Formats: sequence, C-alpha cells, structure tokens
Amino acid sequence: MAETKSDIHLYTAQTPNGIKISMLLEELGLPYKVTAIDLQKNTQKEPWFLEINPNGRIPALTDTFTDGSTIRLFESGSIMQYLVDRYDTEHKVSYPRGSREYWEVNNWLFWQMGGLGPMQGQANHFTRYAPEKIQYGINRYQNETRRLYRVMETQLSKSKSGYLVGDRLTIADLACWGWVASAYWAGIPLHEFPHLNAWVDRIVARPACEKGRHVPKPHTALENRNKTQEELDKAAAETRAWVQQSMAEDAKK
Amino acid sequence: MASTPNPPKPIVVWITPPGPNSWKVIVVLEELSLNYRIHSFRFDDVKKPPFIDINPNGRVPAIEDPNTGITLWESGAILQYLIEVYDGAAHRLSYTGLAERHLCNQWLHFQMSGQGPYFGQAGWFQHLHAEKIPSAIARYTAEIRRVLGVLDGVLAKKAKAEGKAEGSAVWLVGDKMTFVDLAFLPWNFRLAEVLVQSWDEVWAGLPHVRAWHERMVELPSWKRSMEHRARLMDEQGLQWNGVPKGIETFTEYEEKIARGEDTTALGK
Repeated sequence: MAETKSDIHLYTAQTPNGIKISMLLEELGLPYKVTAIDLQKNTQKEPWFLEINPNGRIPALTDTFTDGSTIRLFESGSIMQYLVDRYDTEHKVSYPRGSREYWEVNNWLFWQMGGLGPMQGQANHFTRYAPEKIQYGINRYQNETRRLYRVMETQLSKSKSGYLVGDRLTIADLACWGWVASAYWAGIPLHEFPHLNAWVDRIVARPACEKGRHVPKPHTALENRNKTQEELDKAAAETRAWVQQSMAEDAKK
Repeated sequence: MASTPNPPKPIVVWITPPGPNSWKVIVVLEELSLNYRIHSFRFDDVKKPPFIDINPNGRVPAIEDPNTGITLWESGAILQYLIEVYDGAAHRLSYTGLAERHLCNQWLHFQMSGQGPYFGQAGWFQHLHAEKIPSAIARYTAEIRRVLGVLDGVLAKKAKAEGKAEGSAVWLVGDKMTFVDLAFLPWNFRLAEVLVQSWDEVWAGLPHVRAWHERMVELPSWKRSMEHRARLMDEQGLQWNGVPKGIETFTEYEEKIARGEDTTALGK
C-alpha cells in the first residue's frame, strides 16, 4: 500500500451516496482532499464540475493515474470498485479479484446501485418532497424499500460475521449503509428490521466509518430514529422547495 | 486472468422474457459467441423456489456457470463477471488498461442506477399502473430526457475531440464498442413504448445518441437476441407489455399471482 502514490480529490455532499466514498477512504487509510459541493446552490451543475461528471451528480473523484495524468470518476459504485481495485491490495474491505466472494460482493453492490438507492430515493421523493401528496407513490416506493430491506435482513440473519459477504466489511456494506441509516427519512421504522438495525450500529462502531460518515459535514440521519414522522415532515419543508425548483430547471434543459 | 476458451459447459441464464435487463446479458453472450443456454420461466415464479434460492431478491436475470461453479444475480454484476472471465484474453468488448476498465464500470453503474430504474418507473406509470398519475409520468419522463441528454452531450463531445463527423461511430469508452455501450441498448430499445412516441419524437434533439443506438440495433447479436425474445414471449403467450393474453391489466395479473391462480391456461 505504502508505495502506491495517490492524489485523491473527492467532490461530495452529505448524502447516502457521498458518504460511501469517504467511509471507504477512511477504512483504507488513504489521504484525500475534499471539496464540499453545495447542492442547494446547484454547484454540481457548474461547468467545472460537469467536466468531472457530465451527469451533474455527486460524488465524483479525481486521482493521478498510473500514467501520470488525471483520471476522473463518477457514480459511487464505480468509484468504490476503482478504489479497492487499485488501493486495497491487502484486501481489508474487499476480496481478491476472481474469488467467489469478490463476485458475491458485486451482487450486492449492483443491487444497491440499481435497486435500494433508486427505490428508497423515490420513497424519499413521494414521502417528503413531492408537490402534491400521492398516496399511491408513497406506498409503492415504501413497500419496495421494505421488500429490499427484508432481502438484506435475511442475508444478515444468516451471516456469521455480521456483514453482507464473507468474514469482513466490504464495499457492499458501505454502499448500503448510508441508505439504510436514513430509513426513517423514507418513512420506514428501522427497528422493524432487527438485524439491519444492529448492522447499522456495528458499522458506526468502526472508527474509520464513524469518521468517514461525517464528510463533508456532520451526518445526522441516525438522530432521526427518535423523531416522529411529523417532525421529519417539518424538517423536509425547506428542502422540498429546493427540490422542486431544481426539477423545474432540469426539465427546461 | 489467463486466456479463457469458450466454456465447455453452457452458462445457464435464468430469465423471464419481457423485461429489458435479461437482454443486456444475452446480447453480450451473443456478441462474444459464448456457450450458453436460456432457462426461460414465468414471471409468476420469480418469488418462488427454485429461483428465489438462486437470487434472494427474486428478480431476473441470474446465471449459473457450471464451469466455475458460480451463481450470480444483478445484470451489472453478471456483465462484469462475463467480461472478466470470458473476454479477459481477446478483449473484444473491453480493455486491459486500468483507466479504461474503470471508465467502462463508471458507465455501467450509471446505466444500472440512472437509466434502468428511471426508465422502469416511467414504463410502470405510463403502462402498467391502473390509475393515470400525470405528475408521476412527468417526473420520470423528464428524468429519461435528462439521462439521454447527458449521453448525447458526452457522445457529441467525444465525436468532436476525435474529429468525427456527426453520426459517425463514437463509443462511450475508447475507440470501440464495449459491453457498456450494449448495456444501454435494451432499455433504449423500449423508449418508443415507454414514452408512447414515434422514434423521430424520441430522438428529437439527440442525434448522437440516435446514431449510437441505431448502430447497435443493427448488430446480428442484437437481432438474434430479439428473435429469442419474440419466441420466448410467444411460448408463454405474453402480450407486448409482459401480461399474459386473456388478462387485461398488470394489476389483475399480479392479483392472480397473489391468489396462486394458474395464469398459464389463459395465455395459451
């Protein structure tokens, strides 16, 4: 590890997708620079950022590549695969390429990227941000998120290590953590899933994860465990206006 | 990874015919001319054994590769596996370099998290949900346009950087088609249905995406894939939207499945 030179610069915000990367970087003990992206000011749509990620979403990451020039990466799943592939040579949070566990980690990583993230994101939208209350939309995405949580709950209930794949924490766990930790925001009481709930705490208890989750600013989702749905809804009001304005602007393009 | 010959035993691909995700895997298998066998089954059975034992998430596709003893689900994870194990020597649809490999992965994750789920939700609210909710249709239609706009911008910029005329062959990573270009094909192929528009309307203002997509639609591997799909849809008596013939709506279909009714007879 020591001889691999890195020049990692993370562009991120305090969201479930953003903290995947900072938690991983901390677990790997890699030095990195952070630029906080202000989503409310639409910094992620500015030309300099679009040069790094044409999709205008966080997280994004740049690094000096082995050939000496800059590599730009976006999509949290691909960034995580890059970081462990290049820097986790001791397999602290990954498995050797081509091993059974390596491929099983990929199952869960893509499951999070294509299922848990997008569906819980829609639950957030209809539960907290939509301009009109559409009960069907709320139910559809909360039910799907619950279904996905049950799939994960079953997997964790069978796990000896307490993590999704094999005997250690991997990028599969880190990919899911920020989302599951913010279950209450999507209107889903996490205590209904005891193994998931314990898994959330198990990961927070790791010093590197604890440090990484507070990048670029403090992570507060776990405090929502003690709030009522009414309190959460009130907290959403401010963000709601911004989300709707941002959607209107996207639609014009 | 040492050079790997075509697998002696067929890779088994579990699919239900209608949805786009299975066809991402099939078109790559076809393009690499790999030894594989489709195990087609009914949507009614995705949440039941034996499939639920293969994929605890109860979604297609999944593969079993008897050559390595590995079982995998999630189309993106399957594609990465097929490419690493079976395209690791020739690199017909991939690259050796670390940078290109990860740029391919970047687009694959964008396809998995950005294209698939949102196109899927648009399709659901447009066609399968019983009640028309205009704001939900508008939300997902706008997201489709945004995703297509990102792709068009990237392809346009790449064409310019490579000094190519509009409409000439440009690919997402490097100078050749890779598995990740193909990964976008099955969902884009359904856009006219999802958006309820003619292809000219679908591609309005998106000349680079259109040219890129139309190049792939012409591939013999894709045509063979779509022939398999047509045959397997027919075999199960499915309508274009995946609902068995004789059943009016998807809701009705789901209710019949929930009640444990046999929907086979209706479809035939």
